[in-house]
Amino acid sequence: MPLTVLEAARVIGNPSVYEDENVHAIYEEIAEHFSSTRYKPWPIIASFLSSLPCGFIGLDSGCGNGKYLPLPADRPGEVWTLGLDRSGNLLQIARAAGATGVKREVLRGDVLETCWRKGVFDYAISIATIHHLATEKRRRCAVKRLLEAVSPSHGRVLIYVWAIEQDELSKRKVFDSSSGGVAPHKGKDVVVPWVLSKEPRGKNKNESKGHEQTPPDNEEPKVYNRYYHMFAKGELRALVEEAAKELNLSITMEQNAEGRSRGLEIVQDGWERSNYYVELKLWESIKPRGF
Amino acid sequence: MVRLITHNLLACHAKDCNTNNFPLEFKDIQLEIREAEFNSDFLKGFMPKLEWKALVDTARQLGDTSLPLEQPEMVDDGFLKSLHHVLLEIHVEEGSMTCPNCKHVYPILNGIPNMLLAEHEIG
Repeated sequence: MPLTVLEAARVIGNPSVYEDENVHAIYEEIAEHFSSTRYKPWPIIASFLSSLPCGFIGLDSGCGNGKYLPLPADRPGEVWTLGLDRSGNLLQIARAAGATGVKREVLRGDVLETCWRKGVFDYAISIATIHHLATEKRRRCAVKRLLEAVSPSHGRVLIYVWAIEQDELSKRKVFDSSSGGVAPHKGKDVVVPWVLSKEPRGKNKNESKGHEQTPPDNEEPKVYNRYYHMFAKGELRALVEEAAKELNLSITMEQNAEGRSRGLEIVQDGWERSNYYVELKLWESIKPRGF
Repeated sequence: MVRLITHNLLACHAKDCNTNNFPLEFKDIQLEIREAEFNSDFLKGFMPKLEWKALVDTARQLGDTSLPLEQPEMVDDGFLKSLHHVLLEIHVEEGSMTCPNCKHVYPILNGIPNMLLAEHEIG
């Protein structure tokens, strides 16, 4: 299997415009092909969703093709997840996720905004989404939105992002920046190519109107370069801690921390198959202790 | 689609729109009814998160008067069946939702509500 060496990305101009061009527009184009390659739930996410009690409602922020919306598969109807994404084409696929004929509930929206009553969800997941945001500030803002979406007393959050450290199964390797002097906890901005090798869609379709044939052989497969921020070891945890601090949430597990009545516990954080993840649980102390 | 379970969670998030921004008002809507599997434990677990008045008012606007004005303290099977139908079986496929405060309109197209704001509308 050929190893793709990922090239560095140069984020210039307004990051929101940059993301529109280098993330959102691309997912809109590759939605169908992309979705056909994304069907297997990752184990830690599946087990997180299995652990949720009956009656919980949640947000999948950046749900893509909606592969997590039908979970937990063995307890349909006990847990309800609302999918949020920017790509209308991916959302059309997400609506039918699970192939059981059940329609999933999805919204077109932005992970940096809050279009719901704050704290109304019992849980929120953000899988392979925050790494598409082009600045540290925007990534931190996305984490804050997740922390604000869930209940301050029992909300649970699971975040997954791509790691610089890729496992042996990965087809990708990050450009070597050992000479570039990358600081610890600082990830790398890269572009990841998506090769749309099957029949081109969109404009080409109209041009070949009347011809049912495949396009001529000399047509190059179209390559879309998506922007990713690949996370360094410790960076995701540091991002969460910073976001918590800005929301005045204590990060210690002790519920009687001086002057704090709200906080979050880092339940687990680690690396799984080329991704970093962190699982969080919010808590609220009911009354001051120590009197 | 937008079901009332979702509608009950959504609030307007346009710039400087922080009060009286819930519930959004449905306009020019097309409804579809689709059966969903009944699960009383899910409903009981979800009930504390509901804004009851918003749910009842919206259900009535859509022509469903099966829910009582006050959220009952004791829940029986008949009540849960009505709640199940209102929350999970009525689908708004087309139309829009308008903020009661700033009048921002969120369109519902092909069953998907578009909550995206233009750059200048983001708070």
